[in-house]
Amino acid sequence: MDKNDKAKRQEVIETEVTMGTVHPAALEPYRVRLFVEDEIVRDAEITVGLNHRGIERIMEGLPVEKANSLTEKICGICSNSHIWNSVMVAEKGLEIEIPERASYIRIIMGELERLHSHLLYLAHGNEVLGHETFAMRLFFIRETVMELLRMIGGNRVQYGCSIIGGVRPRCELDLMRIQKLNEGMDIIEEKIGQFADRFVSDPIVMSRITGVGVLTKKDALRLAATGPTLRSTGVDMDLRRDMEIYDPFDFDIITQQDGDVKANLLMRVLEIPESIKIIRQAVKNIPSGPITDRSWEMQDTGIIKSYIEVPRGKLLHSYALEEGRVRGSIVRTPSITNIAAMQHACIGNHISDAQLAIVQCDPCFTCTDRAIKITKIEI
Amino acid sequence: MEASTIIYSTAAVIGTLIVALFVGLWLPGIERKFIHARIQQRVGPPLSSPGFMAPLKFFFKETIVPNSPLPRLYNALPLIGLLSVFFILLFLIPQMYFLGALTSLMAIIGLLKIEELVYVFMGSLSNSIMSLSMPFPDVVKGAKHPNVPKAFLENLSAMRAFRLIAFGSFPLYIAILVPAVMTGSIFLNDIVNYQQVNGPVLFTLAGTLGAVVFFIGYMILLNEYPFAILKTKADVIEGPYMEYASKYRAYVYITRGFLMFTLGALFSVLFLGLPPNILSWSILINIAVAVIFPIFMAVFSAFSPIFTFKQFYPVVTGISLLGVLAMVVAFF
Repeated sequence: MDKNDKAKRQEVIETEVTMGTVHPAALEPYRVRLFVEDEIVRDAEITVGLNHRGIERIMEGLPVEKANSLTEKICGICSNSHIWNSVMVAEKGLEIEIPERASYIRIIMGELERLHSHLLYLAHGNEVLGHETFAMRLFFIRETVMELLRMIGGNRVQYGCSIIGGVRPRCELDLMRIQKLNEGMDIIEEKIGQFADRFVSDPIVMSRITGVGVLTKKDALRLAATGPTLRSTGVDMDLRRDMEIYDPFDFDIITQQDGDVKANLLMRVLEIPESIKIIRQAVKNIPSGPITDRSWEMQDTGIIKSYIEVPRGKLLHSYALEEGRVRGSIVRTPSITNIAAMQHACIGNHISDAQLAIVQCDPCFTCTDRAIKITKIEI
Repeated sequence: MEASTIIYSTAAVIGTLIVALFVGLWLPGIERKFIHARIQQRVGPPLSSPGFMAPLKFFFKETIVPNSPLPRLYNALPLIGLLSVFFILLFLIPQMYFLGALTSLMAIIGLLKIEELVYVFMGSLSNSIMSLSMPFPDVVKGAKHPNVPKAFLENLSAMRAFRLIAFGSFPLYIAILVPAVMTGSIFLNDIVNYQQVNGPVLFTLAGTLGAVVFFIGYMILLNEYPFAILKTKADVIEGPYMEYASKYRAYVYITRGFLMFTLGALFSVLFLGLPPNILSWSILINIAVAVIFPIFMAVFSAFSPIFTFKQFYPVVTGISLLGVLAMVVAFF
């Protein structure tokens, strides 16, 4: 008994419950070990590594154009972000100024991808909550975005939009595509507004997500959380503000304060109108002119790094060019830096909420798992 | 007893059970195809698939020996559940009312308890691969807490099933006792006779409140969303049923459909005074109730997330208190 005559609670981890590597609440294979006491999670450990494909290793020595195409295969959700950033590394190294129209098209593709990623996140979150109706309706809204992406990129997953010096000619925005983009934005804006009204006014849903998976501002910074996971704790950090390409656009950086599942879900709900705002501005003000600059010449570069803000946070691509081939490629995706935050968010919650606490950080382990570390073994 | 009466009664019992089984096999399909799928604006499964074709298919599948300390007992449990539901329906048929105590509410509640208890044993006896870790202590470099005993997801569901028995099924049992309070008897025969003279219990204040409570209890007993804490995708997945394969899984599916019909028939007996009898027009009412209940249930479940205990306890407490109120009203 302590000095206030209150019984001291002893933290005892009674059992380990393992979920995964295959689990219906997880979109991808990973394992989470939950250390529980009376169904309350006292500690958690996430193990990844099952999707490992070693893309950096495959990129080594490839011609830069081929290597860039390969980066698109890193992720099925933010494929455009990977090729965009990978192309930006080359453009930075080769000092290529891309045409303004091309950068507008890249922004449109990037924001459409953010829309579809956020809608997928919301749908998956609702599925884990057990609210299949909300999940289905969000998938319906997402379908509009997917069709727009298909219209511009020619595919629903791998668009191959960005190339060194601009964007592919098939991704050019003609009047018909611009009109369809405007119509699509109207539909998404209306439907997401209706969803948001119903979502926040549902007391049972709010009861399920409020105060679950709480991540404080201090913990988020300590654990190097990034993207919406970090912004949901009140940290106003979005790389888009520092990206020159976004300078002509007026948009707000959304932050929440609570750092729980509710804050994370609302973050995405509120970021969607901001992305729509950016797309509308881009469509309205898109300059005329060429979309590709082919006047650049290949040369050797040192290690070049490029960071961009993708739907899940900060994405790093880095490589050097040697005789037009890629050397020493490094890719760091937002999910790998969010893993520690995911583990921390599980602690203190009921075991039923553990997957929700992980999902709130929007994990994409397929992105994460292609990182490799080559260690020299001395015999 | 005359031979014709025996033949008549036997035919009525067998006929009613066949109708119940037939209707019960279609109820999961009605729930999923016409309600869930319509609300969620998708095509949904074929009507016959969830309740009829799926069990039929499973009868022809290979049996997999579960990773259980008592695999035979584990595999026998769905059959025990099915039998307990079968006997509930059997005792609801008016031709069986001569059995006395077996056709009382206490027998019905006892059999329902067996059906609930089966889940505890199922969960306790299952150690599926879904929560198996490596067969050696997880001591890879940097692993946390390497020597903690491992629990299986099904064990979690067993604990939850136990909590449901202790707490979750209150609303249903309270609702079942409301007609008993009104009629002053726990025997089904008396409850039916009372309603044939005084009109259905449902159309009284106590009966209406009791019916609401019964419906919530029905959803809890069927482990339907939002009360599906025994088998949630977010953690325990299929829960106690995880390792059932082939005909044993078919029994699980058939039990669910049969339980849907049986609980509908129980409602008809207790709140409408219409026992299931193939030789009477009242069987149509039984079938209608058996169809309407899953429809209502599907509408509720489609618009709600799964509860955790944080939401489950207050809801069950509130509904139980409503049931107690119904009983108090029934006294007057």
